Amino acid sequence: MKRRYICTETMTGVLSAIYDAWTFDRSDQEAGIVFWGSVQQEMFCEYREVREDEKKAEAVRRLIHRHLGEEAELSVGYALLSEDPGKGTAILRMMMEARNLPDGKKIMGHLSHPEVRRVFELSRNVGRETHAWKEFLRFQELEGGILYASITPHNFVLPGIADHFSNRFPLEDFVICDETHASFLIHPKQKPWLIIRDEERKWEIEKSFSEKEKEWQRLWKGFKKSVTIQERKNLKLQQMNMPLRYRGEMIEYRDGEQS
Amino acid sequence: MDCFRIQKEKTLYEKLSILSDAAKYDVACTSSGTQRRGDGTGIGNCEKAGICHSFTPDGRCVSLLKILFTNECIFDCKYCINRASNDVERTSFTPDEVCRLTIEFYRRNYIEGLFLSSGIMKSPDYTMRLIYETLYRLRSQYRFQGYIHVKAIPGASQDLIRMTGFLADRMSINLELPTAESLHLLAPHKSRKNILSPMRYVQKKREENTHELALYRHAPQFVPAGQSTQMIIGATPESDYQIIRVAESLYQKFELKRVFYSAFVHVNEDSALPARTDLGPPLLREHRLYQADWLLRYYHFSAEELLSEERPNFNLVLDPKCDWALRHLEYFPVEVNRADYQMLLRVPGIGYTSARRIVRARRTGTLDFTDLKKMGVVLKRALYFVTCKGKMMYPIRMDEDYILRNLLDPREKLPGRLGEITYRQLSLFDDMKIGEVGR
Repeated sequence: MKRRYICTETMTGVLSAIYDAWTFDRSDQEAGIVFWGSVQQEMFCEYREVREDEKKAEAVRRLIHRHLGEEAELSVGYALLSEDPGKGTAILRMMMEARNLPDGKKIMGHLSHPEVRRVFELSRNVGRETHAWKEFLRFQELEGGILYASITPHNFVLPGIADHFSNRFPLEDFVICDETHASFLIHPKQKPWLIIRDEERKWEIEKSFSEKEKEWQRLWKGFKKSVTIQERKNLKLQQMNMPLRYRGEMIEYRDGEQS
Repeated sequence: MDCFRIQKEKTLYEKLSILSDAAKYDVACTSSGTQRRGDGTGIGNCEKAGICHSFTPDGRCVSLLKILFTNECIFDCKYCINRASNDVERTSFTPDEVCRLTIEFYRRNYIEGLFLSSGIMKSPDYTMRLIYETLYRLRSQYRFQGYIHVKAIPGASQDLIRMTGFLADRMSINLELPTAESLHLLAPHKSRKNILSPMRYVQKKREENTHELALYRHAPQFVPAGQSTQMIIGATPESDYQIIRVAESLYQKFELKRVFYSAFVHVNEDSALPARTDLGPPLLREHRLYQADWLLRYYHFSAEELLSEERPNFNLVLDPKCDWALRHLEYFPVEVNRADYQMLLRVPGIGYTSARRIVRARRTGTLDFTDLKKMGVVLKRALYFVTCKGKMMYPIRMDEDYILRNLLDPREKLPGRLGEITYRQLSLFDDMKIGEVGR
């Protein structure tokens, strides 16, 4: 009988589920991972609750690092942040497939296998979105010099952008708020960053912007206007490069501006 | 004190508007080529792939704060809006203003760094010194570790260029026009020699610097992201063949990272410039040149393969790679599961990323058309040129006209007149040669 492992939709959850599945069902191609809250009952199927544990998660990370290599580690890392409910199953089956290869470290090149390709696609999707938020995220300065930005990503990109921004602004206090997942990335000056999940959405940040902020925003809007070459106008190209869904959080498109 | 200055001091907003407006015709806005992590003492880092932070309504990316230091200029280049004989509002930044703008924009994640160019105030050396001063202040006082692209001023002394090069990530000297004669005609104050000698100098210094870095890991880096240049397209009568020959030799002999092409935009009236038409800048031609440029840099094509003296211009209705493939049907179709990497690169619809993926993936299994599609191959184009496990996707006649007709999508928008001609060309009873269309 095929088994489904039920866990929460967190990194620890998924990795613990992989740990359990790896222990009991290592060669069963049918085993899968589902999340609490989105389980669709199947017939002839046994459901198992996963006891989640950071130790199990760490063991799986080590396993991937040692046997599947750096490339797979990175891909799995991104795939875990995906919104796709099938991500756990895809990663699990990819790991199983790696056992059939003479060299497990070549697994990410094995794109003709559907589950490997699935992981590749998930990771590419998250990677692209992560990059897009590195581009289009906008900070605003609050009173007291704290930088604040809010984002509305499909995938949970905060862990993917955290290192980039804290390395970039080591001497700044900044907060990035993920509105979709009700989470905050907090980086205090010269300290390591942390991510806080605010499940009940209790937090609220008082947004009183600093005096200078308005002026810098005006300068930026002015700059964007004057670097445009009217003779070359091509709104389609602009939209292809900068999809509309990112513009909600960009200060240059606030107040219904079109530029 | 300074006779060039306009009496009333302008606000920062006015200066920024004037000096970014004046810089916008420079096309290079890339922030790629340097990978550098911040050291924790300042602000900024660099990503190898570069980051675009916004896109203007013309579809071009805004990655760097692209400004001129000043639009005062003693040169009188005929295509340039800031030529000495033009009556435009003139202004200059101070080094500190440039630094503050850069830092405050950077903090808010508006930009990836600074692109600093300049008109020529007083003399090339005087201007270059101001640019150097600005960069020095930005790097040392403001501890800025993000990306800096700087223009070398033609005619500035080597010392200044060397000192500036240690502060910048990329340096560029604009070639402006593909041939020395055109340059002489349109930019009488610039000479080919004044442009090529600093280019050669930067190349030499970069080579020395690689040796230094091999010995001392922490030696200062000289122009780590390499140099680039730019040519104006359509202001002078050069053919595409001449232009890509020049680009090719710049890549080979000067090790440039990028050559940019800028469709000529009419900003001045001058008898030496082509007559004004209502067609607008030659954007499609520029696009074809960029496509060919990519073929030179990433796809192992040479200029001679793409064009020749007899066929000096690109086919405007078809991209250069499809065009090449159609003229060389003897190589196709290729078997995806066996063809070597070089050959895969030449298949229309397969880019270098998908070519690499194909080569890797077929080590562990055989590939099918669905696999190709999932890997990112554009089957719409590739299907005429490849087989999977010995079979083509559909039965296809290997005939130039037949494939061409299918490749051209009637819904694809081609500018104005060209679209109609394409349509006529496609009719059954007409046998026009596509290459001559639209010139």
